[in-house]
Amino acid sequence: MVKNVNTNEFDEVRNADIAVVDFYADWCGPCKMVGPVVEEISNEVTDVNFYKVNVDNNHDLATEFGIMSIPAIFVFKKGVKVAEQIGFAPKDALLAMINAAK
Amino acid sequence: MERVDIAIIGTGPGGLEAAITAINRNKKILLIGSRDFSDKVSKAHMIKNYLGLPDAAGDVLAKSFKNHIEGMGVEITEDKINAVYAMGKYFSLQGANETYEATTVILATGVVMAKPYPGENEFLGRGVSYCATCDAPLYKGKTVAVIAATKKEEAEADFLTEVCENVLYFPLYKETPSVCDKVTVINEKPLEIKGDMKARTLVTSEGEHNVDCIFVLRDAISPGQLVPGLATEGAHVKTDRQMTTNIPGCFVCGDLAGKPYQYIKAAGEGNVAALSAVDYIAELKKGEQQA
Repeated sequence: MVKNVNTNEFDEVRNADIAVVDFYADWCGPCKMVGPVVEEISNEVTDVNFYKVNVDNNHDLATEFGIMSIPAIFVFKKGVKVAEQIGFAPKDALLAMINAAK
Repeated sequence: MERVDIAIIGTGPGGLEAAITAINRNKKILLIGSRDFSDKVSKAHMIKNYLGLPDAAGDVLAKSFKNHIEGMGVEITEDKINAVYAMGKYFSLQGANETYEATTVILATGVVMAKPYPGENEFLGRGVSYCATCDAPLYKGKTVAVIAATKKEEAEADFLTEVCENVLYFPLYKETPSVCDKVTVINEKPLEIKGDMKARTLVTSEGEHNVDCIFVLRDAISPGQLVPGLATEGAHVKTDRQMTTNIPGCFVCGDLAGKPYQYIKAAGEGNVAALSAVDYIAELKKGEQQA
């Protein structure tokens, strides 16, 4: 499951051992394509927490993490970004990035 | 739209032969490209080594191709594919006019000659974008530059003015652009993209322009951008004798698969790519039945 979080709830991401965050917006085509792929991965990889952040509603988070293009999928380890994927990526590539960050 | 077995992108000899082979194998196909085929075919002066058509000028070859595919009932869908997403069990193809779905994809687009600007790859996704409609809202109230290869991109620049404060338009073509009043046309040659954490400056033949984003809009899209996650080697897609790529279900043929750039080689590879796609679909169906 991918949990939709906002700025106020983002501490949960910062405190997680490993968190994958999908920064997206409703108007973004590639975001709509990668969303279900992240959802599918979240059901298979159970030792990682999955989140998504709507950048339109959470400008401060988008600014903090320097989001210039979406979708942007970040992997955090205890709140520190360790990997990123900007733009759509196939499932295997995302899985490899997440597993490498573990 | 109904999902097809094989989507073929490109109407040069590779794409056309792939279509003919796939139809022969009773596959439902979608052939996307131009009804006039590839310019590289029709504009060729003389092709001396195409088996069965000696000393054919490009237009003669094109006419033979046309007769062949029409005889087979192959139809060409005129559209431009901007992105192909590997969704896992299928592919989603984003066209300018429509979205298509296919179980397999054969890339037969030919090779893209345009070289990226210095800094372009480095800042892609960080102030460099290839899609105005995708990323425009991120630059609300900001200043953006548009590098436009063709007149078609004028609509994109007009669209950007609805969101961005300033739109600087750099046409790479000779005709006088007809854009709305809010677009500033600048007739300077873009040379380089500079920045720090993100792209900030477009360097041109005449000076520098400070912008928040540079939209680089070319007619042809490089294969790695067309299919996110696709493994490439220079201008070519990494492949093998079965014309497979690193993405299961995605195949390649013709110039995009590598040198030599020959019509007959492209056609032969189109044949192999289609047969590989047919095998892949058969394996997929077998797997589904067992599951």
